[in-house]
Amino acid sequence: MFEANPYNLGWAILQWVAALAVSGILALLVGFVISYLALGKKAPAAIKDTLKRGFDDLTKLSGRRIGALAYLALKESLARRALYVLGTFIVLFMAANLFLRTPEQDVPAKPYVSFVLTVVQWLLIPVALLLSCWGLPADIKDRSLHTVVTKPVRRSEIVIGRMLGYGLMTTMVLVVVALFGWVWIKRVVPARSQAQLISRVPVFSSADDVKDAFFFIDRAGNRQQFAVNVGDIWDHRSFIEGQTNSRAVWQFENLNPSRIGDDLRIEYRFEAFRSHKGNVDEGEGVRFRLFFVNEAKKLRVPFPQTGAGVEIREFTQETVRGATAGTEEEQAVLRIPRELRAEVAGDPSATGEKVDLFTDVMDNGKLQVEVVCLDAGQYVGAARTDLFIRLPDRPFAASYFKAMFGIWLMVLLVIMIGTTASTFLKGPVATLLTFGLVILGSPLRSYMEEQYTDRYQKGEVLGGGMLESAYRLVTQMNQQSPLPENFGTKTIQVLDEGVFSGLAIVRNVIPDFRHFNMTEYVANGFDVPFNDAGAAVLPSIMTVLGFFIPCVILGYFSLQLRELESK
Amino acid sequence: MQAETVIDVRNLSKVYRDFWGRKKVQALNALELNVRKGEVFGLLGPNGSGKTTTLKLLLGLLFPTEGEVTVLGKPAHDVTKNERIGYLPEESYLYRFLNADETLDFYGRLFDMPASVRKERRDELIKLVKIEGARRRPLKEYSKGMTRRIGLAQALINDPELVLLDEPTSGLDPLGTRDMKDLIIRLKEQGKTVVMCSHLLADVQDVCDRIAILYGGELKVMGGVKDLLESQDETQLLTSTLNDEAIKEVEAVLKKHGAQLKQVAHPTSTLEELFLRTVKESQERPGRRFSPGERPGQSDSRPAQAAVKS
Ligand SMILES: Nc1ncnc2c1ncn2[C@@H]1O[C@H](COP(=O)(O)OP(=O)(O)OP(=O)(O)O)[C@@H](O)[C@H]1O
Ligand SMILES: [Mg+2]
Repeated sequence: MFEANPYNLGWAILQWVAALAVSGILALLVGFVISYLALGKKAPAAIKDTLKRGFDDLTKLSGRRIGALAYLALKESLARRALYVLGTFIVLFMAANLFLRTPEQDVPAKPYVSFVLTVVQWLLIPVALLLSCWGLPADIKDRSLHTVVTKPVRRSEIVIGRMLGYGLMTTMVLVVVALFGWVWIKRVVPARSQAQLISRVPVFSSADDVKDAFFFIDRAGNRQQFAVNVGDIWDHRSFIEGQTNSRAVWQFENLNPSRIGDDLRIEYRFEAFRSHKGNVDEGEGVRFRLFFVNEAKKLRVPFPQTGAGVEIREFTQETVRGATAGTEEEQAVLRIPRELRAEVAGDPSATGEKVDLFTDVMDNGKLQVEVVCLDAGQYVGAARTDLFIRLPDRPFAASYFKAMFGIWLMVLLVIMIGTTASTFLKGPVATLLTFGLVILGSPLRSYMEEQYTDRYQKGEVLGGGMLESAYRLVTQMNQQSPLPENFGTKTIQVLDEGVFSGLAIVRNVIPDFRHFNMTEYVANGFDVPFNDAGAAVLPSIMTVLGFFIPCVILGYFSLQLRELESK
Repeated sequence: MQAETVIDVRNLSKVYRDFWGRKKVQALNALELNVRKGEVFGLLGPNGSGKTTTLKLLLGLLFPTEGEVTVLGKPAHDVTKNERIGYLPEESYLYRFLNADETLDFYGRLFDMPASVRKERRDELIKLVKIEGARRRPLKEYSKGMTRRIGLAQALINDPELVLLDEPTSGLDPLGTRDMKDLIIRLKEQGKTVVMCSHLLADVQDVCDRIAILYGGELKVMGGVKDLLESQDETQLLTSTLNDEAIKEVEAVLKKHGAQLKQVAHPTSTLEELFLRTVKESQERPGRRFSPGERPGQSDSRPAQAAVKS
């Protein structure tokens, strides 16, 4: 889901270039050593020749030949009954009808949407794996590839043609299942839940430095990154105390009034924490009030303008929203008119000057929003993504088909990796490797990042790295007691540092499959963002493009430098 | 006058290795070959002697362990040379899910041929190899001979200058074999160069200009078919039927130049005899190799019984 930070395109491209350069140099070194051992003095000439030929083969491509090879791969997939997957898909859905179809009940739309997207994804991945990982090895084994390579075909064209053909095949399958799934959702989701099928477009607070996008002001009026911790184990929300100076502050930037619409819509999902029961008998919850602030003009505009504030629903938002229709109140949306009155300093009950939210309070697309808790002794818990501006909703189709687009890109990536792996591995091994990357690329990747690279860099890993912890184990040393300051310790630490740097490199070379997983957005009624550091359209496209070139180069060289005899 | 050299093989050796780089088979050993433009060249040898290996090395399918290969003036690994080459593999390694039309169209596209040319070529070749009746059936339904025919059509799709045929007649019926021979002769008439491997020595004798015999990866014999099979120091007379009396008189008649002479020629052995002799010699005297200038079969080792023929 949302990381609520933009994807750092420049950094990504920089890392890509670096990774490519490093692996290119490594490959050259290894190639040089091997050919020097095999050819002796003739090695430099041979390497030069290979590189020159490689350059030609990777640049002088023929569209017609690639087309022919893609057509071949397509025909081959059909011959290998790739379309059976459509049958499987339809059967699955008929079975799902039996279990999920309960039109009388108030069920949320979410499981239907998740079901479709998950099934599409997990049906297409095996298809992509089976096609891409097994095609070339079979072709080499049957020696039909012999006949092809005795034509003026560049081996790069074989790699690209295969990727393209399998890509086309899975695209056709995906288009059919995506449309089928769409019709299915529209027909099967109960009428009362249909309203949940929307694409909300959130704008999160942002700033050059994330610390400016969201922060707290404590009782004493000092700025803090965190507020009160109420002992909740989930520490991503901090709590502000009611009837004090403390407040939570969001700073938005790059807002465009023409895109916002007539009113400003703000959606929130705060958590209430009570230190006393309050007026529970009257059904009163913990309340908060918003302020739109322009510090330069010393403007503070409250919302609601008067009265008791907004009450926080104390059940989790998900269940409440899930079970009921998508009215704005139920979605926890505040609709704020442009015309408001500013607060008169020191007199909450007086009405101040008339202001226009977009022209007077908003400054150059920047808007500061503050939240205060209105009930003494109670707390409002908030995190950065707990409050966002909602641009006009898009139709459900927008997010649904963007998520399908994400699945499509992911399947293309699987095909690219699978085809490349199949140029030097046999079918089963290539499948394992590719599937391994898909797995490493999502859940395990998160684990690696959290557990090792990031935490280690922050010095948060107790007991040190691999070697250090091994040393502690052997010597039965406590995790926290410091190691003796000597040469051995230094060595251990430097080596551990190396292991973690290695992990960081591996992490950057393994594709980040998390970018493609847009199911959560659709299921939760959000539009799929174009640019977000989490799952989003832009990083997905960049990941696929980024892997295309190295995959083609690697696949080309492994076909080119190898005799295509089956062994 | 030496014609332009189309294939030049120098000191070519090939060792097949296993996954770990250990030597399995020495398939070729210091092979020297050249094929001239416009000739039909036969590559002969017992099973496993390295014929197919040689062709694959010429095409860049395999990499030489040692030595150099030049085909049409380019190194074997250069893909652009393939534009002028047609290759019929030992077994027709084609895509079984395509039909004949699709197969030829596919290979035509690999030569970057525009659609109209492909269609024309395709129709022409399907007629040539006589599979009109089966052109829309997938190749997996083809009989061996039919597969061979479509394989041949595929090899000729680009109207190649150099045609490499690995056992072109294997699997063909007698009519097909006849057609294949006619085709090879026609290719030669069109000025193309043909290199073929075959075990059908009578056919090779009919169509080849020059041959090479391999044994155990080594070149044992190479030369013009006529030269190799002719014996220069003897003369053969072919006469009408003679009775015993007449035969007794032959010597006298010859002296008098009075007999009705129908043919005077050097006795020629068949290629089959040459082949068997070469293989036998190679088994008896391993290591002895062909060197240019030598005329095997004419040397001292020539078995006596092959000398006279009446
Ligand atoms: N892929 C391979 N791996 C290992 N050895 C091989 C391979 N291909 C051929 N050989 C060996 O190389 C030698 C020559 O084989 P080749 O196929 O060139 O013979 P050939 O003359 O074409 O025989 P045939 O008349 O049976 O077609 C044989 O000993 C064979 O076992
Ligand atoms: Mg052979």
